[in-house]
Amino acid sequence: MLPAASPVTLLEPGGRKHIVSLTNQVTVVVFVSALCPISNEHVDRMIGLYGEFSPRGVGFVFVNSNVNETDAEVREHAVAAGFPFPVYRDVHNRLADRLKASVTPEAFLLDRSGSVRYQGAMDDARNPARVKISHLKEGIEALLSGRPVARPTAKATGCTIKRERKAS
Amino acid sequence: MALPAGMTVVTDAGYAKLVASQKGKVVLVNFWATYCVPCRVEMPALVKLQQKYGPKGFVLMTISADEPEDEAKALQFLSTVKVPAPHYVRKTDNEDTFIRAVDAKWSGALPLSLVYDKTGKKAKIMVGEADLPALDALIQKLLM
Repeated sequence: MLPAASPVTLLEPGGRKHIVSLTNQVTVVVFVSALCPISNEHVDRMIGLYGEFSPRGVGFVFVNSNVNETDAEVREHAVAAGFPFPVYRDVHNRLADRLKASVTPEAFLLDRSGSVRYQGAMDDARNPARVKISHLKEGIEALLSGRPVARPTAKATGCTIKRERKAS
Repeated sequence: MALPAGMTVVTDAGYAKLVASQKGKVVLVNFWATYCVPCRVEMPALVKLQQKYGPKGFVLMTISADEPEDEAKALQFLSTVKVPAPHYVRKTDNEDTFIRAVDAKWSGALPLSLVYDKTGKKAKIMVGEADLPALDALIQKLLM
């Protein structure tokens, strides 16, 4: 398995390869799904965090690692959701395997060395009206301020990432 | 929002007690939700396992991870698919705590099937759609 600091090759919605560096800056990686209702309930929150922190130098990588979702579905979903950012395809689940992602939505917060400082849910509640703790936002703020991330993990129920069947 | 009649709450602390209450039986706990397509697809097959092995000391327990506003829909699905009662729904102030109480390695992805042997020990965890032939074979083995 490649170290977290290595660049990762993803596919842009048009099929072109895009090499993503995970060490240039504080980076947020979010695994999403076009078909998972839980992931889709977080669309506004994803757009909100991107809008708030991208101008402050935080890198965002939104990734669809589901082999059962077609490129067309992923593209059309991104348009319908109004994403102001691309959603990359994770070829052969490489990034999901490297980060050990298993559910959508699932967020990873990486520091400038590419080390994972937070893994888990974006918030502590599926329904935005019930959110008391915005785990991902708090983590981003902590890293930008040079503070440790208080809660390095927070799990939540969601949809499995549909992976390729690997030859045994 | 009131819990629909016919659903029983399982809390963080209550999960272990629920499983322990079935000692002496082979138990399949299935975590599911109405939004989870694979969960709904596999449920009839799990019901068939209950029908096949129930008389031999096997019990299927379904626990919904639905939000309160979807609990009535969950109950309706369980009724349609003829999932035997009791029908459980998880209730927690902290989903992370609940998930870890079920299994420390569980990411929260649904569906999740856990098989417990007659002593209450966890024998198998299946994340995602269950491997039904493997599940059937395991239940048979644990019932012996």
